[in-house]
Amino acid sequence: MSATAPSICPRCAHERLTHLTTSPVAGAWDVFQCDRCLYTWRTTEPARRTQPDAYPAAFRLTAEDIENAIEMPAVPPLRA
Amino acid sequence: MAYDDLRSFLATLEEEGQLLRITEQVRPEPDIAAAANAAGRIGENAPALWFDNVHGFTDARIAMNVHGSWANHALALGLPKNTAVKEQVAEFARRWDAFPVAPVRREDAPWRENTMDGEGIDLFELLPLFRLNDGDGGFYLDKAAVVSRDPQDPENFGKQNVGVYRIEVIGKDRLAFQPVPMHDIAQHLRMAEEKGEDLPVAITLGNDPVMPIVAGMPMAYDQSEYEMAGALRGEPMPLATAPATGLDVPRGSEVVIEGYFESRTRQIEGPFGEFTGNYSGGRRMPVVKVTRISYRTAPIFESLYLGMPWTECDYLVGPNTCVPLLKQLKAEFPEVQAVNAMYTHGLLVIISTKKRYGGFAKAVGMRAMTTPHGLGYVAQVILVDEDVDPFNLPQVMWALSSKVNPKDDVMIMPNLPVVELAPAASPAGIISKMIIDATTPVDPDRRGNFATPVKDLPETQEWIAKLQKLIAER
Ligand SMILES: [Zn+2]
Repeated sequence: MSATAPSICPRCAHERLTHLTTSPVAGAWDVFQCDRCLYTWRTTEPARRTQPDAYPAAFRLTAEDIENAIEMPAVPPLRA
Repeated sequence: MAYDDLRSFLATLEEEGQLLRITEQVRPEPDIAAAANAAGRIGENAPALWFDNVHGFTDARIAMNVHGSWANHALALGLPKNTAVKEQVAEFARRWDAFPVAPVRREDAPWRENTMDGEGIDLFELLPLFRLNDGDGGFYLDKAAVVSRDPQDPENFGKQNVGVYRIEVIGKDRLAFQPVPMHDIAQHLRMAEEKGEDLPVAITLGNDPVMPIVAGMPMAYDQSEYEMAGALRGEPMPLATAPATGLDVPRGSEVVIEGYFESRTRQIEGPFGEFTGNYSGGRRMPVVKVTRISYRTAPIFESLYLGMPWTECDYLVGPNTCVPLLKQLKAEFPEVQAVNAMYTHGLLVIISTKKRYGGFAKAVGMRAMTTPHGLGYVAQVILVDEDVDPFNLPQVMWALSSKVNPKDDVMIMPNLPVVELAPAASPAGIISKMIIDATTPVDPDRRGNFATPVKDLPETQEWIAKLQKLIAER
């Protein structure tokens, strides 16, 4: 893993992240995922996709947004 | 001769000067998506793009914009690369009449050479995944042909569906999946979930160039996309049996991902920049657990950039949206001459038609809205006369500007159904629809001053040929 491992999700600021993969060329990049909103990013992407303060307001998510997200399609009722 | 896989088509694109190899090292983001985005901004004959020198990867082969120009779309159908759009659509419509052409089973699929299963499954290891647009929630598979069966009628070949859906990679062996409610796979999933069962699925990546065209085509529920592929190819589509699910998949695929929808499970997905030119997302979507991946040696990863039109997506779903609408309209109204449904998958449609009597064109417009595809699209219809080419937008604008009297020729109908993705809908899934009748009024609809139109001179056709010849010989 590269030395600059992120500590929070750029999109929802959650603090629990999963390290999904690392570059085949050692040290080039890593891919992380937020455990809460599933935002997935590569460490070499531009700041607008990787840095919480540069992340566009229009795409930020809050815990509330995630909890209230509708199902698409809705899970249908079970039939006997 | 039809192409049986992506590789042979890429070879033809290269011979025809329609494949550009990017040899300098690029960043996975934002370069690959930006280059594919740019391909849609440099004219109608942009090449496919090939990347194999991508920062951090040792073994990446990425094809973008494979269908992203009229030249490439023509070559995909085996036509000369300079075939006019109107002629490509007309040829597509002629081949459609050969439907159904039964597929041929050839089990010696090259993707049987390599397998990942169990703990060894890692989509990130196999595929050089990358983000397309800034607001996308992750890395997507957006050009896969996805196969599923009707759980209540699993032996029915026609009801086996092949479609293109947006698929977000949310783990080494997990995908979030958007089945649009109006599409067949959503019906398959609903039936399985009502019984509390998982739904098997095969996601095929990197296919022959006709497969993405038929997978994105609006077809009836019990019509086989493979039998349509046979018609468009002019020869049977080669299929093989996917090992884990038994689903029929293209023999020529680069990668076959198998798994199942986890019954009654939803997970946060998106957003994703869509073909409408807007993002959609932030909803809880079905989840696919991957159980097996089969792949060709040195697989090619094919993806597609989409966003504000025009992009590859628009070339890919342009003609294949025109032709079903044309066929369905012509079945009842032989007066219909041509249909241009290339704008946002047919949210806007231009139809040229002869008039049986006054008011006829408006009736054709209403019928377009009640075709199977029209129910979820066709929010605006422009009707033009039979001598106006609906693919020639200056002619269409002439018809609008000279033939329309807004108080008589514009009809707006409230609260009709539309795909949830339609950005103008309110609420999502509901929109008003509009007909603009830009045809010349005919009896007994006596309006306007159209008695003495200026027609092209009788000798003009001859002179067109002469001028073209003289210019070519210069
Ligand atoms: Zn997050």
